[in-house]
Amino acid sequence: MFKLDRKLIASASVIAVAALFAVGCGGGSAAPKGSTSINGKPTIDGGTIYPVENGMTGPYAVNETAHDGGFTYGRKPTQNEIDAWNKDVMPDGTGLPEGSGSVEEGEELYEAQCVMCHGDFGSGASGTAGGYPALSKGNAVEMQKTLTNQRSGANKDGDGPARAFGSYWPQTSTLWWYIQSGMPHPNTKSLSNDETYALTAYILSVNEIVIDGVEVDDEYVLDREKFLKIKLPNEDGFVPNIDGPGALDDVRKFYANAKEFGAQNLNQGAVRCMKDCQKSTAKTVYVTNGGIADFNPPMSVVRDMPKEEGPFDPVAAYEASCAACHAGFLSPGSSDWAGYTGKGIKAVYKNGINGTEGGMPAKGGSSLSDAEFKLVVDYLIKG
Amino acid sequence: MNKVQENSTENTVSDRRAFFKKTAAISTVAAAAVVAPQNLLASEDDHAIMHHPAWGQKLGDPVTANLYGMPSKYEHNNTRRNTPLLASGNWQASIAVTPIHESCGIITPNGLFFSRCHGGTAQIDPNEFRLMIHGELEKDIVLTYDQLRRYPSVTRTHFIECPANGGQEWRATQFNSVQFAKGFMASAEWTGVYIKDILKDLGLKKETALWMLAEGSDNSEMGRTIPIDKVLDDAMLVWGQNGEALRPEQGYPVRLLVPGWEGNLCVKWLKRLEFASEPFYCKEETAKYTALRKDGKAIQHFYANEVNSTVTSPSPEKPWTDLKDGDLVEIEGLAWSGMGTITGVDFSLDGGRNYVEAQLKGLVLPKSWTRWSFMHTYKKGQVLQLTSRAMDDAGYIQPTVDQEVGQLGVEGVYHRNAVETWEVTKDGKVNHVQIRS
Repeated sequence: MFKLDRKLIASASVIAVAALFAVGCGGGSAAPKGSTSINGKPTIDGGTIYPVENGMTGPYAVNETAHDGGFTYGRKPTQNEIDAWNKDVMPDGTGLPEGSGSVEEGEELYEAQCVMCHGDFGSGASGTAGGYPALSKGNAVEMQKTLTNQRSGANKDGDGPARAFGSYWPQTSTLWWYIQSGMPHPNTKSLSNDETYALTAYILSVNEIVIDGVEVDDEYVLDREKFLKIKLPNEDGFVPNIDGPGALDDVRKFYANAKEFGAQNLNQGAVRCMKDCQKSTAKTVYVTNGGIADFNPPMSVVRDMPKEEGPFDPVAAYEASCAACHAGFLSPGSSDWAGYTGKGIKAVYKNGINGTEGGMPAKGGSSLSDAEFKLVVDYLIKG
Repeated sequence: MNKVQENSTENTVSDRRAFFKKTAAISTVAAAAVVAPQNLLASEDDHAIMHHPAWGQKLGDPVTANLYGMPSKYEHNNTRRNTPLLASGNWQASIAVTPIHESCGIITPNGLFFSRCHGGTAQIDPNEFRLMIHGELEKDIVLTYDQLRRYPSVTRTHFIECPANGGQEWRATQFNSVQFAKGFMASAEWTGVYIKDILKDLGLKKETALWMLAEGSDNSEMGRTIPIDKVLDDAMLVWGQNGEALRPEQGYPVRLLVPGWEGNLCVKWLKRLEFASEPFYCKEETAKYTALRKDGKAIQHFYANEVNSTVTSPSPEKPWTDLKDGDLVEIEGLAWSGMGTITGVDFSLDGGRNYVEAQLKGLVLPKSWTRWSFMHTYKKGQVLQLTSRAMDDAGYIQPTVDQEVGQLGVEGVYHRNAVETWEVTKDGKVNHVQIRS
């Protein structure tokens, strides 16, 4: 009896769902079809979901008795364990600890631990591969106005939008949290709360941010109270709304409208054109100048025996394990090495192999043997 | 990925890079000549047939030789590849992309699955893996790897796609390669547990548990916010990839899988899920993975990868330079949608001016790669522009380049799904082009 009911419900909903679609799956498959709504509301992403019907979700069979819960695995974490891992910082200040740091202290830390990748005043720098992100593109309020720039038409070769922390990010909590959990890149989770406040203050200053009417200048000391008053110029630059109790409805509404995100939906008036679909002005755009082709390894579909592996390549090892920091700081062949080699090469090897308090991780965090690592050090010093 | 569409800054890091650049420049010219598959001459006895090769006479390897099997050494060029444009300063904040020109079917071998990380690939000891689930729940919980795997498993085939797939080509094509133009994705059969099944015993607080933070334990503690709708639909914690443990590049031992949604939402090297009433504003959902529209507003929380497709054969990598006039040849491609199931693919030989229906083939699964096929009689010297256009069961159809750019502008970086066009030249080479007004 139960089975019969379920079948009836299933087939009724299949018909209802099928009627929703301009384009069907075709060919009467036994698998239940999906739905673009749930409990009378559109799906969160505008797509199809496949509720379990008659023991199937879409084309997959389901053991429904396995999904009723009743499991007792694991244990409750201690409060200390939760505190150790629950380090996120939210826009309303949830998770943001007390502490303080000045722009001046931040600049000192920045020069010691950040500038080799992020460049002077957060301007960005080139690395082994691509460029490290800029933290500022200038005055945040002015740069925010570039976000409507389009490199097309008359402005094809002009300036694009300047996306950096000050001009683009909506929240400073993201910056604080990321500095503490993800920076400095080769040695993360090593900064104290005060150091994180100081670095945040410095980055606010190079973006020329004003907090509660006060410019973040060299003398500025940032603390939790002032932090919570920060409003970045692009805070309202994002869609859909994701804040507040009605946020999920706002998201559902946004993705129910294909035009909001540049999509074409046949159920919303889009046309499946089959004949004469291009304008007469349509032309073919080619990759210019060979395009981007510095691929590693070089593109090839030849089926041959690989070349025999050569001897240990310190340059390749440098690129894999050292260049993250040493592309800009004590780079291969840099004259700055003279300040480090005075006590002899053995001292340099030792510091490299064991690591230093100055930020050098042991062997740069690599798994090279001592002998291999020394060859890389030789390359770094001589270039 | 930041800095897309900007050429990476020139520097003098190494001779090796310069070497790569030179070889690459040469190979784009020489590739077609080198690549042309073998064709046998009609009148000569073929040496490959007429002699006994060594492998047919001498003993082969014992079964003890490769207890974990590896591809034939001859397949060494079927590999992930990377390029400095797609890196944020080093190879630890970068991507290596999948050779989809060599892919068969709808499953990517684990060693070829595209690899994206924000602080390098973490090498995690599964004995020290802990998953903490806490926040707006009646009962917080910590699980070990073995305990997590005790939950009843589900196995599903889904692609994972970086939303920057094709994102370098809003203004024009830049990659004469299908691996780089469309290979920021791969597909696997995943095994894991539905998060909703774990939550059934934890007492989710319906009024306040609206968002879930998923956080990795890697160097960057990559995190993303997931809306509760997806958590209670098909979001999974997965440990299995094509019948074995996840590879480190895919988040070993456990990653989040949100089927069809942006790859970066499928947080790897997972350590923590926290439920809250407000979203978390993680770095990778504000600084990155937001799509700037031409009205200056950026789409945040851009979830599903929209309906998409491409020709995979022929390709710039594997062109038609060996075909004879009159050869019957299969044009093959992939279609996929993170918003549902592929319902059809339209195919054009004239750059999207006129379409006919292509055939789907093989398994047609939700939020999965789907193969499509079109049979063509090759006419030597004929220039073709191959365009595919997919549709899904939520009603979405791929936009033209003009439609997409017209609505969004050219600065969005992410979620570009306009139709792709591959031009076959009169001598059978293949170029990546766009048709735009």
